[in-house]
Amino acid sequence: MPFSLSIIAEAWPTFEAGLITTAIFCSVASVLGLVLAVPIALAQFSRSWPWRVSAKVLVEIVRDTPFLVQVFVIYFVFPATGIPMSSTVAGILALTIHGAVYFSESIRGAILSVPKGQVDAARAAGMSYPLTMRRIVFPQMMGYVLPPIGNQIVGLIKDSAVLSIISVPELSMAFQNVLGTTFAAPEAFVAVAVLYWLLTSAVTLVMSRLEQLTPTHRSTQEMTSLLAKADR
Amino acid sequence: MTLEWQYVAHALPFLLEGTLITVEVSLLAVALGLLVGILVVLGRQSRFKILRALIIAYISIVRGTPLFIQILIVYYALPALGLDIPRFESGVIALSLNSGAYISEMIRGGLMAIPKGQLDAARAFGMRSGLIWRRITLPQVLVLILPPLTMEFTGLLKSSALLSVIGLVELTRRAQQVIGETLRSPEVWLATAALYFIMCFALGTVTRRLEKAAAAYRL
Repeated sequence: MPFSLSIIAEAWPTFEAGLITTAIFCSVASVLGLVLAVPIALAQFSRSWPWRVSAKVLVEIVRDTPFLVQVFVIYFVFPATGIPMSSTVAGILALTIHGAVYFSESIRGAILSVPKGQVDAARAAGMSYPLTMRRIVFPQMMGYVLPPIGNQIVGLIKDSAVLSIISVPELSMAFQNVLGTTFAAPEAFVAVAVLYWLLTSAVTLVMSRLEQLTPTHRSTQEMTSLLAKADR
Repeated sequence: MTLEWQYVAHALPFLLEGTLITVEVSLLAVALGLLVGILVVLGRQSRFKILRALIIAYISIVRGTPLFIQILIVYYALPALGLDIPRFESGVIALSLNSGAYISEMIRGGLMAIPKGQLDAARAFGMRSGLIWRRITLPQVLVLILPPLTMEFTGLLKSSALLSVIGLVELTRRAQQVIGETLRSPEVWLATAALYFIMCFALGTVTRRLEKAAAAYRL
C-alpha cells in the first residue's frame, strides 16, 4: 500500500473544516477558561471558608474524573435538569471548565511563588487587596504562569479530540470521516497529526512571544542567587 | 425531571464490573509503559543514530497527537497490517505506548537525581555498565519515580475511559450499556463520575504520601 498524497489533497476540505472548528472551540474555551481561572485560584486563598471549600471541591472534581465523563455529564445531565444543551454548547462548556480548573492550578502555584512578605508589606503600606494583586502579585507571577498555561492550552487542544464523540465536527471527527470513506489509515493519520502539530506549535509560538513581552520582575531572593552565580 | 437514585442502586453492580476492567487495563498499561519507558531511555543512549532518531520521532508523535486518535489508529490500523488484535489488548497497547513516552521522561528526570559519584565509585570497583544499571541506577530510579508513576496510573484510570470508543467494556462503556437498558442517563453518569472520583482522589492522597516518602529517601 503506497503512501499517496492525493488522498490527503482530496480529503482536504473535510480536514480544513475540522481544523477550523477545533481552533475556534479551543480559542473560545481558552479565553473563557482563563477568565474563570483567576477567581477559582483567588477563591482558594480567600479568608471565608465557603469560597475556599467550593473552589477546592470544583478543582478536585474536575481533576479526578475523566474528561470524557465530564463531557457526558454536561451533555446528558444538564438537559435532564431543564437546561437545553447542544453538542456545541456542551463541548465548549466542558472544555472551558476543564481548562479553567487546570489554568487555576497554574495561577495558584504562581501566586504562591510570590513571597508572602511582599503581600504583607503592600497591605501594611495601605494598599487594598485588589491593588496589591494588580500591582505586586500579578506582574511578578506572569513569568511563572505563562509556560504552564501554554502547556495546558496544548493539552486542551489534544483533549478536544474527545468532542467528536458527542458529534462536534472537529479535527478528529474529520479524521474518522476520512478514515471511514478512504480506508487510508496512514495518510489520514499523517494529515491529522500534522494539523494537530500545526495548532499546538502556533500556541507554543504565541506563548513564547507573550513571555518575552512580560517584564520579568524577579524576587530579591532569585536576584541574589542570580548575582551570586554571575560572580562565580 | 428529578433524579431517581434507585436506578443507581440497580446499576451499581454492573458499573463495579466495569470499574474492575478499568483498573485492570490501567495497571497493565502502567506496567508495560514502565517497561517501554526503560527501553526508550536505554535506546536513547544507544550508539545507533537511527535507533535514537526513531525513538525521538516516537516520543514527538505520542506527545503531539491526541491519545484518542492514537487509540483509533492502534485499533483500526493494526488489523490493516494483518495483525488481528482484540479490543482489550489493542487498548492496553495504545495506552502503554502513550504512557511509555511520558514515563521515559520521568525516568530521565530520576536519573539526573542520582549523584554522579555513585556511578564513578561503581566503575572504580570494576562494575560493568549493565551491572551498574541493574544494581545501582535502576533500583534508585524506581523509588524516585514512584510518586509520578502513581500519578501516571491515575491519569491512565481517567484516559482509559476513551477505550469505550473502541468498544472495550470498561467503566464508561458499562455506563453506556446500563443507560441503554434503564434509559436513566443523568443518574448513571453521575454515579460513573463518582466512581472515577473515588479512585482518583484516593490515589491522589497516596501520591502525596509517596512524594513525602521519596523526599525523605533522597536525604
